[in-house]
Amino acid sequence: MPSPSARVPAGVQYVFGAEARLRRAIERRVLDVFAGWSYEEVILPIFDHAALFEGGLGQGRARTYRFTDHEGDLLALRPELTTLVARTVGTRLRDEPSPLRLCYTGEVFRFDPPRRGRHAEFHQVGLEHLGTDRLEADLEVLLVCAEALRALGLPGFRLVLGHVGFVSGIADALELPPEVREALREQLERRDAEGVRAALAGRAEPARVAELARLATLSGGAEVLDAALDLVKNPASRAAAAELRQVLDTAAAVGLGDAVAVDLGSVAGFDYYTGMTFQVYAPGFAASLGGGGRYDRLMAAFGRDLPAVGFSLCLDWLADAVGRAGLAERLAPPPRAEVLADEDLAGLFRAAVAARAEGRQVELAPPHAHAPQEGSA
Amino acid sequence: VSEVVTVALPKGRLQDQALEVFARAGVRVDPAELASRRLWLDDQRGRVRFVLVKPADVPTYVEYGTADVGVCGGDVLLESGADVHAPLDLRLGRCRLVVAGRRDEPRDGLDARATARVATKYPRVTTRWYHARGLPVEVIGLSGSIELAPVLGLADRIVDIVETGRTLEENGLEVKETLERCSARLVVNRAAWQLRGPALRALVEALRAARPGGPGDVDGDAEGDR
Repeated sequence: MPSPSARVPAGVQYVFGAEARLRRAIERRVLDVFAGWSYEEVILPIFDHAALFEGGLGQGRARTYRFTDHEGDLLALRPELTTLVARTVGTRLRDEPSPLRLCYTGEVFRFDPPRRGRHAEFHQVGLEHLGTDRLEADLEVLLVCAEALRALGLPGFRLVLGHVGFVSGIADALELPPEVREALREQLERRDAEGVRAALAGRAEPARVAELARLATLSGGAEVLDAALDLVKNPASRAAAAELRQVLDTAAAVGLGDAVAVDLGSVAGFDYYTGMTFQVYAPGFAASLGGGGRYDRLMAAFGRDLPAVGFSLCLDWLADAVGRAGLAERLAPPPRAEVLADEDLAGLFRAAVAARAEGRQVELAPPHAHAPQEGSA
Repeated sequence: VSEVVTVALPKGRLQDQALEVFARAGVRVDPAELASRRLWLDDQRGRVRFVLVKPADVPTYVEYGTADVGVCGGDVLLESGADVHAPLDLRLGRCRLVVAGRRDEPRDGLDARATARVATKYPRVTTRWYHARGLPVEVIGLSGSIELAPVLGLADRIVDIVETGRTLEENGLEVKETLERCSARLVVNRAAWQLRGPALRALVEALRAARPGGPGDVDGDAEGDR
């Protein structure tokens, strides 16, 4: 058994050197973009009451690290940050006029078996726009997200839009019981049109079921939404498709046409989403870099009933994608220090302080410096 | 960004069947390439590169995006829990994932035990299945010759795949319950599905037409693995 100082628990990471510089550089650029759109940073607690987080993660998905405080209250390390922003707005910012634009950066903790790129601890940078249920807010956060990705220089990124209302509109219109909804969700998650058809079998005319199955597994551009508007009759799904259509059109009008696509079967994400959702993808990275969506009912639970929309990007994965795209050196150039040496200590520090006053990077090579012997402690 | 689609194929029986379906879908590999012992093969039009991997590793290659697409058994996909899309049933390698035990098992013998001991190559699926039924289980992970476990008394039951049931029979075992009907699936990396949508959806549709039984539900989709 190696000594405790040598053992690292699964899922935690130590980041240093070029990788640490890159992460900070990315974080700064993204936060600068957020600030440019007037999103104000909130610094949030690392842990809070465990019950607080139960609305978001959904059953059996990510689990939290839990522990008790001295009064026996059950606490949890934060598994996401949106809930904490919502709590802040519902309590401390109760009287601030809306809309509120808030952003955050920090680690979140999820008790998941580590797999592809999913650590127990990872770093999110995100924002929330609270107080308006209008499409402008959805568009604004999409544009901010796109600008952040552009600021990193990531080529060929894509924002893939979905809408909670599209599939739930179909499910409501067919009066699906909960277990069929769950089966439908699973098959959509797999993008398996035949699986969707099997899940809906007997709930509508076979031809109708086949149509819906094809539709729910479609992704692409505006043509997907046109097909949806032709085929789907229930008002909730139609409204969802119409909203997405408007988002696409506006995105095209501001030159983001190629970067935005639609996936009607997209059902991934937090349980608290109520409207448009989106996921961020970039070439060379195997999973989504982040995502977000509209959550109009979460805030009511925190005493201030505000519609809201937001997103977060995973800093760890951004760093990976930026590295793979060969952009690391450009975003975080290796530090270039002037090495100062002088036998006279006072002279050495005078020179260093003067260099620093001019903003230059210095590294002191003090007199009698000697390299530590390898292996000596 | 290369336009070549990388496909992870499971080495072994399923590999040849899958290559036949790809060939019918217009993705052909030169027989000379096939005869070589290389672990990757390019199709004749240079649009698809097959990489040959261990069957249980296919979901991993696809989840990590090293391959855009993969072919894997439904049992393998289920056990892996990989976060991938699975848009198409290839109707190959059909089998059932079952709980089996000795034919001469004492009728009440198992019920009296507090915890069933189950030998399997599918620890994840097995644990989930027993726990979903509120049954305590001790899973014994084995990597082969699973049928021996109940015969030698290592385990009360096994969870394994069966095609015809002959192996079970010859070892004095029988199917007690079916967990899942499985067949080979096409799996697709999530990011690739979004970033290379048109090419991958065209491939899915070509394979749908080329799989045994063709595009329609000839012998019923209910037989797929769900």
